[in-house]
Amino acid sequence: MNRMLRTLAALALAAVGSAGAADTIKIGLMAPLTGSWASEGQEMKRNVELLAAEQNAKGGLLGKQVEVIVEDDGGDPRTASLAAQRLTTKGVVAVIGTYGSAVTEASQNIYDEAKVIQVANGSTAVRLTEKGLKYFFRTCPRDDEQGRVGAAVLEKSKARRIAILHDNSAYSKGLADEIVAILKAKKLDVVFFDALTPKEQDYSSILTKLKAVTPDVVFFTGYYPEAGLLLKQKRQMGWNVPFIGGDAINNPDLVKIAGKEAAEGFRFLSPPVPKDLDTPEAKAYVVAYQKRYAEAPSSIYGVLAGDGFRVVAKAIEGAKSTAADKVREYLTGGLKDFPGFTGRISFNGKGDRVGELYRVYQVDKAGGFVLQP
Amino acid sequence: MEQFLQQLTNGLAVGSIYALIALGYTMVYGVLRLINFAHGDLFTYGAYLGMTLLTSLALPDRLGLVAGLLVLAVMVMGLVAVIGAILERAAYRPLRDSPRLSAVVSALGASIFLQNALMLVYGARYQVYPDVLPQSALEVLGLRIPILRIAVLLVSLAMMAALYLFVQKTRVGTAIRAAAIDQDAARLMGIDVNRVVLLVFVIGPALGGAAGLLVGLYYGQISFTMGWVYGMKAFTAAILGGIGNIPGAMVGGLLLGVVEALGAAYLSHSWKDALAFAVLILVLIVRPSGLLGERVAEKV
Repeated sequence: MNRMLRTLAALALAAVGSAGAADTIKIGLMAPLTGSWASEGQEMKRNVELLAAEQNAKGGLLGKQVEVIVEDDGGDPRTASLAAQRLTTKGVVAVIGTYGSAVTEASQNIYDEAKVIQVANGSTAVRLTEKGLKYFFRTCPRDDEQGRVGAAVLEKSKARRIAILHDNSAYSKGLADEIVAILKAKKLDVVFFDALTPKEQDYSSILTKLKAVTPDVVFFTGYYPEAGLLLKQKRQMGWNVPFIGGDAINNPDLVKIAGKEAAEGFRFLSPPVPKDLDTPEAKAYVVAYQKRYAEAPSSIYGVLAGDGFRVVAKAIEGAKSTAADKVREYLTGGLKDFPGFTGRISFNGKGDRVGELYRVYQVDKAGGFVLQP
Repeated sequence: MEQFLQQLTNGLAVGSIYALIALGYTMVYGVLRLINFAHGDLFTYGAYLGMTLLTSLALPDRLGLVAGLLVLAVMVMGLVAVIGAILERAAYRPLRDSPRLSAVVSALGASIFLQNALMLVYGARYQVYPDVLPQSALEVLGLRIPILRIAVLLVSLAMMAALYLFVQKTRVGTAIRAAAIDQDAARLMGIDVNRVVLLVFVIGPALGGAAGLLVGLYYGQISFTMGWVYGMKAFTAAILGGIGNIPGAMVGGLLLGVVEALGAAYLSHSWKDALAFAVLILVLIVRPSGLLGERVAEKV
């Protein structure tokens, strides 16, 4: 599979007509191409490969062609550390990815020691940027911001009995803790706080337990496969408590899994979904993506990986160098309000993206994600 | 009390699926002393084949719901049985006389192969079954039990009972039991052990495939990695009940499901797996060969 990809990449390069194929700028992509987040990973790959092809058509970077080297992290920390080691030995300048926070965390130190810039696209756990790692950046927001927005939504909903459900993953637990801390500070009543086991299919036991504490609203901070099943099984139980979710639920497959009736009315926090990206660049990009892959991008994290690639490309151009220290300097200092597909991008000294990104979405009758004012 | 009963029904439904898959592990182990690690993936194949046949043939529309699903179930079980038989021929029979470790490694390899083949064919996304079954529920004594949940339980129990009768009451079943006790002696009695093994690799996967179809129809969402969790739970259930023992697999599966549901209800959902395994360890300390396992030294 990997060999096939590499052959394809080589063919693509040859087609563009690069003269010095040996002398390329290598950018790594670490993505969950297999495993339970494989659909996110496959989209990350599509975005980055499309942008690399576009970059190469424009003449590449610093007069050289860009070569994307893809490694599969399987959505698993152990696989990720191996993938990171492979990428660092292949001489990549920067690495885009990856999605899950725990997975990214397993690879952070490897890149840092090898002085490779890493731009994560979906890892929102707060502590990733609190370690003082010099070469780590992310295009997605942080969970403390999401926690603030989530707590605000809960507070506004006037719910008196609030249940929080997570899945014990680094991201999910982190977000749940953030929300609970804020709610407790505001003296709101958290009547339920527990985790489910991801990748199971029967959540009726935890739903039964939840129902027994009669919450007014349930906030689930996990991922969309479980969220879909929760909504579906909640409906089968004949229980119509409102559910709210975090940004990992933003995937159209949610509605497919839950069914339209069960998903209707579900609200979640998310950076804007691809169809709501409103800058001219983003609109042109969605068209180009559709042309190449015959479907529109469905995952915002794929687009955030694309933004990661673009800021790296911009920084290499801006710094006129591929040296990690110079690229870092440009990213933290030179790059201001870069017009990313997902909005303006600037980084602070920690490597976090500056600015508010979260919106509230609601699923409508037809299963569409509607941006809430 | 109401919550207790509700959780009990939750646990029985999940447990009956575990039991159905556990039968495949236990039958293969009983005859070959081999843990068929690819069994969880055969279960997944059942779910995927069921989805493909359901969407492409639309049997429930043509034959009515019950008849359509019956034909579908027979087709899925048949196809998964064929895959099971091929697996036995390709991955296990050549290693029958090798050290046991080789067969285990071959089983793991087969599992990885099957799983990734599925991903390449269907893609890595979660797949979703079309909604064909009614979503209504029964209200009994303040409990709300989805009808499908009862159906899952009844269908599983019926299949387990059929298997039990088949193994206990028919000549072929006797041959299977004989081969499980002593293959050489069975051969001397004129039993074609190779055919028995093949039969075991047809029945086990067929039941596993049926479980996959049930899970697909009931939960709606399937993924190519789902065999792992179910396989592990079913394997646990098989050991809990006494591996190699068919009623043991049923008891083990149902017990595991109920322990999990009650653990989730009264401890914490995140502790339910720990609780399930604690029960397993306790049972194994008291009865090293499982709840219904025979106390025969050379069997373990």
